[in-house]
Amino acid sequence: MITVAPQVNQSSTSLKLDLDNLSTEQTALEIKNLDLYYGEKQALSSVNMNIPKGQVTAFIGPSGCGKSTLLRCINRMNDLVDICRIEGEILLHGQNIYDKKVDVAALRRNVGMVFQRPNPFPKSIYENVVYGLRLQGIKEKRKLDEVVEQSLRGAALWDEVKDRLHDSAFGLSGGQQQRLVIARSIAIEPEVLLLDEPTSALDPISTLVIEELINDLKNKFTVVIVTHNMQQAARVSDQTAFMYMGELIEYSDTNTLFTTPTKKKTEDYITGRYG
Amino acid sequence: MLKQWFKSGSPWIWMTGGAVSISLISVLGLLAMIAWKGLSFFWPSQVVQLELQGSVAQQTVIGEIYDREMVPKSRLEATGVDLSGYDKEQLERYLIKTGNREYVDLDFRWVIETDIKSNTMPAAIAVFERSKNGNFYGYVEQVIKDGQVITDNKTEVLEELVERAVELNEQALDLQNGDIGHINYQLERLRLQEKSYLLDDALTDERVAELAQQRADLRAEYGVLEKQLFALRKQAKRDQVTVKDMRGEIVTLPLYQVLDFWFPNDMSFVAKLGHYFVQLGKFVSDDPREANTEGGVFPAIFGTVFMVMLMAVIVTPFGVVAAIYLHEYAAKNAVTKMIRIAVINLAGVPSIVYGVFGLGFFVYVLGGSLDQLFYPEASPSPVFGTPGVLWSALTLAILTLPVVIVSTEEGLSRIPSTVRHGSLALGATQAETLWRIIVPMASPAIMTGLILAVARAAGEVAPLMLVGVVKMAPTLPLDGNFPYFHLDRKFMHLGFHIYDVGFQSPNVEAARPLVYATAFLLVSVIITLNITAIGIRNHLREKFRSLDQ
Repeated sequence: MITVAPQVNQSSTSLKLDLDNLSTEQTALEIKNLDLYYGEKQALSSVNMNIPKGQVTAFIGPSGCGKSTLLRCINRMNDLVDICRIEGEILLHGQNIYDKKVDVAALRRNVGMVFQRPNPFPKSIYENVVYGLRLQGIKEKRKLDEVVEQSLRGAALWDEVKDRLHDSAFGLSGGQQQRLVIARSIAIEPEVLLLDEPTSALDPISTLVIEELINDLKNKFTVVIVTHNMQQAARVSDQTAFMYMGELIEYSDTNTLFTTPTKKKTEDYITGRYG
Repeated sequence: MLKQWFKSGSPWIWMTGGAVSISLISVLGLLAMIAWKGLSFFWPSQVVQLELQGSVAQQTVIGEIYDREMVPKSRLEATGVDLSGYDKEQLERYLIKTGNREYVDLDFRWVIETDIKSNTMPAAIAVFERSKNGNFYGYVEQVIKDGQVITDNKTEVLEELVERAVELNEQALDLQNGDIGHINYQLERLRLQEKSYLLDDALTDERVAELAQQRADLRAEYGVLEKQLFALRKQAKRDQVTVKDMRGEIVTLPLYQVLDFWFPNDMSFVAKLGHYFVQLGKFVSDDPREANTEGGVFPAIFGTVFMVMLMAVIVTPFGVVAAIYLHEYAAKNAVTKMIRIAVINLAGVPSIVYGVFGLGFFVYVLGGSLDQLFYPEASPSPVFGTPGVLWSALTLAILTLPVVIVSTEEGLSRIPSTVRHGSLALGATQAETLWRIIVPMASPAIMTGLILAVARAAGEVAPLMLVGVVKMAPTLPLDGNFPYFHLDRKFMHLGFHIYDVGFQSPNVEAARPLVYATAFLLVSVIITLNITAIGIRNHLREKFRSLDQ
């Protein structure tokens, strides 16, 4: 069940996690010594980080710093780039997702992703949401109807589209399309949801709606978000990682990172000296 | 001043606009010309009666003015015509279609204006359209119904009788092609069955008896039908009409040969219009007669459309699958690049080369092997080892394959990668993404490829002459005999029909307007096929509209 409980913003109240020494229950993902090359060019160098479960982790940094690349590593979307080569490990449930035995499709069912631009399929709203379920061979109408309602409610879209579920998804506004894409992703109940600059193509009001939605989502999923908007990272995330030139510079809880950064580069970036 | 005008950019607008206008004018001009030349042929033109005297002996000529031209006097004199009394430099001469082919040497003759002593258009001149020997022009003398001369209301009675004869002829033809054709087909199958038993060494006495029984049944049925056929034909031969022709002689025309008659000089505009559309309808729906110089072109229309559709059914899946492999699965390396270049170049190979390939590979190798494997009983006469509609469709399919591949690939590469990634991110495999998302989204491009393929294939004639088209096909590739689609049969084609009528015809003058009419029809058929495909494409485009944003 994807129900949305009233929400306390954990970043201000919750106890700080020791990100270097998370217990197994607290960990969603472990990234170990990850190096990534596009041909000759190294895009990520020895990234090490633990992503805690049930929280929102934000990646920030200037353009080209590798934050999106890192995000795409988590569900192996970089496999689609021919010249891309990866060394190191990402552990999900203690298993390396880059292991040869891993079924990439199954991994991606577990680690959903929402992209920068809304990318609904040329199908009805209903068919967009059930796409992932149909892939799994689920045909039962009652089950599908149920999931559609839950997912659309979970993505705060139900009230707006419940009367036109069978209209084309292209009829929705950009913000609605992005929420539809989120609904589509959570319909297959992944553990981790990756958001790659999900509001960069949207207007301020839609952005606000999505940000509220992200806050709700972490009750159910581990959320990893890439954003180039520092205010957004400060608003929605529990942990923030600052990256620069393919390296993870600083990673701590959001409050700390934005108020008392330990590294000079982080401070320069969040005070707007470059970026 | 001029420099400023150049700088303003308007010369470019004029130049580009001019290029568009010229293209448009040439296309419209072409269409208008063949449409006018072709379609005006069916208009019931006036029939003139000319009294000639001068360079020729005194005589009467009845016929339609078919053409006119100016000829220098000196040239006419050089051919031995005495024109000493005339001082004009240029003389006009007329081409008269006199019809009555069995009584005159040529049914067309040139008449010089100086020879014409009088020119009248008597209302009583009738034109008879006949199933043999072309039109007949003359005055109706007697209408003979069942041996009796009709005196009252000759024209009305004649109309009735002609209608009756046409009706009876049609019935006879239906019987011959339908039921009798069916029995012949069955008998042929029995013969093949017997032979195949013989080849398998399985021809037992029981089977011989069974076959003989079936054969006897069919023959008995045949006998009954044959009697019906003869009865119909005999009935059709009952009436005659006698006509006075331009030589002043009375000629008897049996009505079973008359398809229609009319009095062109006595028709109102509305009547002519009605007649025009009837003739046009006959052209589209009738079989050809008289070595294709008369009658309709229905088998050619049918053959063209049937073959093109068969080709589309073959080429689409092949082209789409090949394009998907090239674009989605093949490694992006030099070999793929070379294959792609090869495919594009394939589109530039002259079509006759494909014809030669089709004959050598499809007809002889594939067809020959098929015959050996599946139709040993038919030998030595080939079934698939001879040119036919299937091989034509296949040959044109490989001819148009590059077009489909190229435009499908184009469509595939235009699909935003975000959609692709969206599907993959939901746990779809590449194949699932392809069939559920990518191919449906590329369908407008696939349709574009198909439109280009159809446009190319429908107009192609040269390769077909080698792999299946004929001047006159006795049967259509689709009929009521099992298995209904006879892909081994030869077929007629509008493009080849144009060539045949225009260049192989024994009667060039009679055939010329048919060339234009058939050409116009071919263009219309291609346009219809294209518009249908474009309609489907636009519908698909509408469905995936937001892609263009």
